[in-house]
Amino acid sequence: MNLAVEQPWLLAGLLFCALPLLRYGQRVAGHPALDLIPADGLSLAVDAAIRLLGALALAGLVLGMAGIYRTEQQVERIGHGAHIVLLLDRSNSMDQTFAGTAAETGGAESKAAAARRLLSQFVERREHDLIGVAAYSTSPLFVTPLTENKQAVAAAIAATARPALAYTNVSKGLALALSYFDQRPAVGARIVLLVSDGAAVIDPDSEAKLRELFQRQQVRLYWVFLRTANSPGLFDQPSDPRDDNAQAMPERYLHLFFSSLHIPYQAYQAEDPGAMRQAIEDINRLEQQPLHYFERIPKQDLAPLCYRSAALLLLLLIAVKACEAKC
Amino acid sequence: MTLVKDFRFWLLAAALGLALIAAAGPTRVARQPLYRLVFVVDITRSMNTEDYQSDGQPVSRLEFVKQTLRRQLLALPCQSQVGLGVFTERRSVVLFEPIEVCAGFAEIDAAIAALDWRMAWAADSRIASGLASTLEAFKNSRDSLVFFSDGQEAPPPNPRYQPDLTVFKGQVKGLIVGVGGDQAAPIPKFDANGKRLGFYRPEDVPHRSTFGESDLNPEKIEGYDARNAPFGSRAVSGDEHLSRLHEDYLRKLAGDSGLRYQRLTDTGSLGVALQDSGFAEPGQAETGIAWQFAGLAVLALAALYWRN
Repeated sequence: MNLAVEQPWLLAGLLFCALPLLRYGQRVAGHPALDLIPADGLSLAVDAAIRLLGALALAGLVLGMAGIYRTEQQVERIGHGAHIVLLLDRSNSMDQTFAGTAAETGGAESKAAAARRLLSQFVERREHDLIGVAAYSTSPLFVTPLTENKQAVAAAIAATARPALAYTNVSKGLALALSYFDQRPAVGARIVLLVSDGAAVIDPDSEAKLRELFQRQQVRLYWVFLRTANSPGLFDQPSDPRDDNAQAMPERYLHLFFSSLHIPYQAYQAEDPGAMRQAIEDINRLEQQPLHYFERIPKQDLAPLCYRSAALLLLLLIAVKACEAKC
Repeated sequence: MTLVKDFRFWLLAAALGLALIAAAGPTRVARQPLYRLVFVVDITRSMNTEDYQSDGQPVSRLEFVKQTLRRQLLALPCQSQVGLGVFTERRSVVLFEPIEVCAGFAEIDAAIAALDWRMAWAADSRIASGLASTLEAFKNSRDSLVFFSDGQEAPPPNPRYQPDLTVFKGQVKGLIVGVGGDQAAPIPKFDANGKRLGFYRPEDVPHRSTFGESDLNPEKIEGYDARNAPFGSRAVSGDEHLSRLHEDYLRKLAGDSGLRYQRLTDTGSLGVALQDSGFAEPGQAETGIAWQFAGLAVLALAALYWRN
């Protein structure tokens, strides 16, 4: 138990506690016969107890004034959770609508809006996770670190409602997302949740680097691919073998690349918000591995406790007062 | 009854009553200025120019802005909210919407620390356009915009093609913070991996805009040809490879768009500007006043023991 105070200088008030020890605070009955009575243990004990009551009551009040509190504690628990990095595509195309018609919304909801709504719900449901947010367009954007602060994550997701940026450079985004796990203890599942609507060619240099990073960080990769109308899907075979290359079908090739990483990888081709919800529910269900985590117990204000104890002691003093001999 | 006649009883009773009040946790509602700010930081390369000093070491403008922001973060009252964005090319992007500063301090601080010129998605620096698009996004928003820039456009602005910022007058609460020194200083050059390669040289940068038509009278342009050489035939040279704070330009942008302007001289100057700017919304904060009652109880007890 770690105690601390808000206003240390007020602890000087503890000097008041000496008062009851030095002085009576009681009606002094100056009867000469009292001097004849020999000092007995019981009387001394009662006297000391009364003085102590006063001193403790004062101490309680002063400690309360100084704002004593128990510092933030961390309790290790085992629960279900993961370290999740949301890697969000901020490119222009995210503002378009889904390929399949979304029945429930009349098909008007843009992909980014749907992704935003479902991700926010997902984040709310993942109680014990540490969630970080990274974004990318042509370059990677560090947004928020891995954190328990769900409001911060929600604010980062909400910011994707603003106009999007130019193009997609997924390899830099992935490298940034993987860097979130640097210097993190390897406990619980490590997840990168890539939400994008397109893919880009990964150049051979970054490909080798990413392979190594994925292996080293032991992450699981989920790719929620939000397919735009008239764009090729992840699993489409090219109709013309001449088109079977990364330039013509970057989505297919990125999918093949991820599949070849020898890491747990799952791709979801979301054609409407329903499919995206399915993907997120799957992740929610699958990623329930036991995880050691530290639950933060926020700092606890002990001042009211001090005041209550002081009040109790004062009540006892009043009772003592009522027992005072009258003369 | 003698008990009631004894002043000691009354002092004890008073102390008990006061302690009970204190234990109930009385609070007072106090007025407190609250801020809702979005910091948008210019991350173009001229912001790498090292013309600030920190602890006797030269630091880049971007680094100095980061230090300023971290310091400002600590100074903001709890329940204020801070968002963060970056500007480059001709637009800005907001990384996260405002987050409460006390609960989210670690997250905001980490995001500020991660600001880097390599986040830039394109290399141009069209500040007027960037400001226009940012103001568009902040139109009629509760958030106050704090825009950090050195005012150096790359390529240099052509007055013929400036966006009209006056349409935003009165629609956005905001502050432009001018960053940089008065002396032209060389701009460090880095490769794509962040390795330093010396400084930009005159031949590395455009010294004038060559888009569209020139703003000069064609008769005054040497070698003018309306189709093939609207800016003339002469190669221009200039000092665009050096950077200084273009304060007049930023002042003009601020004036046009109805924002305030403040120059960043030390890490504390931002706080002063924010206080003066009237961005603060009246907020309410509950402050505990239990300690006042406890103090009176202590005095009552002290009086009790003092009077023997």
